[in-house]
Amino acid sequence: MGYIDVSKLGDANLNSAIREKLAEAPVVTLTKVNAMHNVCAGLSGDGEVIIDDSTGLYTGSFLEGLTVRVKGSVGWYAGDDMMSGELIVEKNTGCNVGSYICGGNIVIYGNTGSRVGYGMKGGNIIVCGDAGRWGGIMAMGGNLIVLGKIGEATGESMYLGKIFTRDPEAESKMGGNVFLDAIEADEVDALTELFEQYGIDADAKAFKVIRPMKTGRHAYQLFKPQLEPEKAKKYQVKG
Amino acid sequence: MAEVRAIDRPKSKWRKETLSEIDYKATYGKYRIRGCASPRQFPHFDDLMIMPSQLTRMPIDTYREDCETRTVLGGRFATKPLVLETPIMIAGMSYGALSKEAKIALAKATSMVGAVISNGEGGILPEELANSYRQSIQMLPSRMGFTKRSLEVADMIEVLYGIGAKPGLSGHLMGAKITADIAAMRQIPIGIDLHSHPRTGDAFGADDMVVKMQQLREITNWETPIFCKIAAGRVRDDVKIAIKIGFDGIILDGCQGGTGAAPVMASDHLGIPTMPALVQAVRTMEEMGVKDEMSLIISGGISDGSELAKALAIGADAVAIGTSAMVAMGCRVCMDCQAGKCAFGIGTQDPELRARLDIDKAAERVANYIKGMTAEAILLAKAAGKTKLKNLEREDLRALTLEACAMTGIPLVGSDFVIGEGFGFTASNKI
Repeated sequence: MGYIDVSKLGDANLNSAIREKLAEAPVVTLTKVNAMHNVCAGLSGDGEVIIDDSTGLYTGSFLEGLTVRVKGSVGWYAGDDMMSGELIVEKNTGCNVGSYICGGNIVIYGNTGSRVGYGMKGGNIIVCGDAGRWGGIMAMGGNLIVLGKIGEATGESMYLGKIFTRDPEAESKMGGNVFLDAIEADEVDALTELFEQYGIDADAKAFKVIRPMKTGRHAYQLFKPQLEPEKAKKYQVKG
Repeated sequence: MAEVRAIDRPKSKWRKETLSEIDYKATYGKYRIRGCASPRQFPHFDDLMIMPSQLTRMPIDTYREDCETRTVLGGRFATKPLVLETPIMIAGMSYGALSKEAKIALAKATSMVGAVISNGEGGILPEELANSYRQSIQMLPSRMGFTKRSLEVADMIEVLYGIGAKPGLSGHLMGAKITADIAAMRQIPIGIDLHSHPRTGDAFGADDMVVKMQQLREITNWETPIFCKIAAGRVRDDVKIAIKIGFDGIILDGCQGGTGAAPVMASDHLGIPTMPALVQAVRTMEEMGVKDEMSLIISGGISDGSELAKALAIGADAVAIGTSAMVAMGCRVCMDCQAGKCAFGIGTQDPELRARLDIDKAAERVANYIKGMTAEAILLAKAAGKTKLKNLEREDLRALTLEACAMTGIPLVGSDFVIGEGFGFTASNKI
C-alpha cells in the first residue's frame, strides 16, 4: 500500500502524485487532506484510493474505474460527471453530490444535502441517511436510493431514472411530473444485490419508486392565481 | 349635408401585431414560443463607419497584397490554443434544433475555411465531429449527451451560462423535434417538450466555479482552451467574474442572437444588444489588464464582413454566426423553427423534409458565405491600411448617430466629440 501525506503537496500536484503511486501499488492512502478540493478528480484506471480524512469540493469527479473511499465527510459536488467506479463516503456529504453522473456507484453512509443526483444520467447513488430537498431533480437516468427521509420536491421534473424511497411521507414530498409506484421484482433484486455489495442492512421490498410521468408532457406552473379571498384580506390592512 | 368623417392617425399602439399577441394570450392563457431572433430593431454595427486610409496612412492593395486572417484563441492559460484561418465560429446550434444534415453541412463548411463549430446542447453528433475543422464542445447546465469523452475530443470547451436569445432561461426544444434518435442522445422521453436545466448543478456561483475550473484544467491537462458563453446583460460584472474564474476567453452573445425556440418575451425583452455589449466587455477586460491575453468572441446578429470588421475593430478576436449560416444553407427566417416543419430541411427532424437539404451543396454555400464575409472584412481592413485583420482598431471607427456614439464611446462622424463613457477617446474633443 502507498501513502501520500497531502499536506506536503500543492493543489496542482496531488492527482498526478496519486497516479504515480497507483502505478506502484494497488491501494493508495491519503492522509492530512485537510478538506482539499478536487481530490481524485478525473482519475481513471484500476486501484483504490483511501482518503483518511475529509475532503472539499468535487471529490472523485469525472472518476473512471477506480474506487475512492473517504473515511470522513465530503464537500459539495462529489462525484460529479462520474463515469464508472466507486465513490464511498463513510460520513456525510454536502449538496449536489453525484450531479450528472453517467455511471458507477456512489455510496454515502451518512446524510447528504440538497439536490443529490442532480441531472444524473446513469449509475447508482445510495444514501444510507437522509437526503435534502430536490433529490434527483431533472434526472435523466440511473437510480437514486435513499434509506432515510427524502426532502421536499424530490424527483422534480425527472425525465428518466428512478428514485427508491421508504420514507412513509414520500408521496407528500415529491416534486412535479413524477408519481409514486410499487417496486418491481427485478428492482428488488437489483437493490438487494447493491445492499449486499455495500454491507447495507435494508429490505429492498420495503421501498417504493418515484418514477417520471410517462405522459410525454411535463406540466409547468407558469402562473396560478391563489383565489383565497379570506386569506387575502390581511393585505387590505394599512400600516 | 353628407356626414364628414375625419380620419384618425394610424393606430400607433394598437397595431395588428399587438392585437394578434393579445388574441393569442386570450385564447391560450400562456406566452408564445418562437424561433430565430427578435425582430425588434436594436442598435447595431451599422451605426458605425470605418475610416479609410488617405493622407494619414497608406492603403493596402485590395487585389495584390495580403491581409492576415489567422486567429489564435484561448491561449491565456491553455497550452494548446485554437488556431483558425478566419476569425469565425459557427455558434452552438444543437442537433435537435437542427437536422443531422444541417449539422454535418455546417461542420463540413468549417473544414473548407478553417473555422470552428460549436456542438450546441444535447451531445456531439459523431458525424459533426468527424467533419469539423475544429470542434468546440459546450458544457451546459443540462449536460445532456455530455460525458468525459466529450472533453477529450474538444478543441475548445464552452461552459455555457446563457444565450442572447433567452438569457436566464433554459434550452427549449419542442416535442415535435424529439425523435427517437435525439431522445436517445439526450436521455429523455421521445416527443417531450424539453425545457432543460436553467443553471448548472455542479457550480453554484463564481467561487465554486473557480474550483471547478481547477478540476477542468486537471482533466484537460491544461491543454484545451476553456471559454465561457454568456448572454449580454450585466456585462461589466459578468466579465470581471469570468476573468476571476480563469477562463481563457469569453463568448458574449448579444440580444440579437437567434435560437430554435424561445419565449417571445425573452428574445424581445431580455439582455442588451451586441454592439454595446462588446464595447463594455472590451472596456472591462482592458481595465482588468487581460485584454491581450484573454480572447473575446462576439455573437448576436452578425451577418456580413462589415460587422466582422467593426467587431474586431472594437476589440473582439472573432465572431460567432448562427442565423446567417443557416440562411446560407437556404433558411428564409420564417421564425417558425420551434414547429419542426422547416421546409428547407434545416430546423426539422422530419425525414422527408430533411431529405431536401443536400449536405454537400449546403456545406459549400456556408463555406462560400464565410469566404465572402471574410473577404469583405479584408477589403475594409486593407482600405483602412491594415495587413492583418486583427490590426483593426477602434480609432478606425466613427459613430453615425448620437446614440451609437454614446453607447460605444466612439466619436461622432464629422466631429471628434465623444458623448458618454470613455473608450480610448477623450470627451475633450482631441483624439
